[in-house]
Amino acid sequence: MSEKRKYKKRYCKYCEAKVDFMDYKDVGSLRFSLSERYKIMPRRLTGNCKRHQDMIAVVIKRARAAALVPYTVTRKQVVTAPFENLK
Amino acid sequence: MRNYENLVIVKPTLTAEEIQASIKEIEEVITANGGEIQATSQMGMRKLAYPINKNERGFYHVIYSSIAPSAISEIERRFRINEDLLRFVTIKYDTNREVAAFNAMVEKAKKDASAPAKTEETATAEEAPAAEAPATEAPAAE
Repeated sequence: MSEKRKYKKRYCKYCEAKVDFMDYKDVGSLRFSLSERYKIMPRRLTGNCKRHQDMIAVVIKRARAAALVPYTVTRKQVVTAPFENLK
Repeated sequence: MRNYENLVIVKPTLTAEEIQASIKEIEEVITANGGEIQATSQMGMRKLAYPINKNERGFYHVIYSSIAPSAISEIERRFRINEDLLRFVTIKYDTNREVAAFNAMVEKAKKDASAPAKTEETATAEEAPAAEAPATEAPAAE
C-alpha cells in the first residue's frame, strides 16, 4: 500500500440500512439528502449509490408535488433551523 | 387491478364536518369507478410547504386502493373538477418491491385506524389546549 487514500471512504447510508423502499410521506427521512435550501444533494457529497440516489430523487419530487417539501426557498423564507417543520 | 395510493389535500377553510363530507365524496368517486379501498389514513391538518391558492394549511388524507388502470384518468378528471381539493397526488405501486411496501403501509394504516379508538380521548384532550394555543398566538403574529 504505497498510495495512501486521500479521503475518507464514502459509503451509501441507504445500502447500509438496507433500504428497499422509500415513502414520500415520511419527510423526516428525506432530510439527509436535502440541502438547507431543500435542493437535492448530489451523490458526490452524500456518497449515495446510484440506485438509492435515483430512488430518493423520485421520492423528493413526489413530496414536493404533495407540498410536504418546498420546491424553492427564497431569501425571505430562509430560517435558522430549516428542518424544524419536517417531522 | 393495480395498487394505487391517492393523497388528497382538502381546503382548510371548510369546517371539520365539511372536510369529512368531501373526503367521503372523494372516496365515493373511487368506488364508483370500480376501485376497492383497502385502507385510509388521515394525516390531519398541517402546514403546506408552500402556499397553494393562497392557502397556508391543508387537510391531508391518504387513500390506499386497488383500481383498474383505465379508471385512473376518469378519477383524476373528477378530482380536478372538485373545488374542495387543493392538490392530489396519485402514486402507482407496480413492481414486487413496491407492492410489498404498499401492503405494509396498508397494514400500518389499518392498525392506526383501529388503535386511535382507544387513544382518541387523550387525543381530543390534547387537541383542546393545542387549539387554544394558536388562537392566542395568531393575534400576536398579525
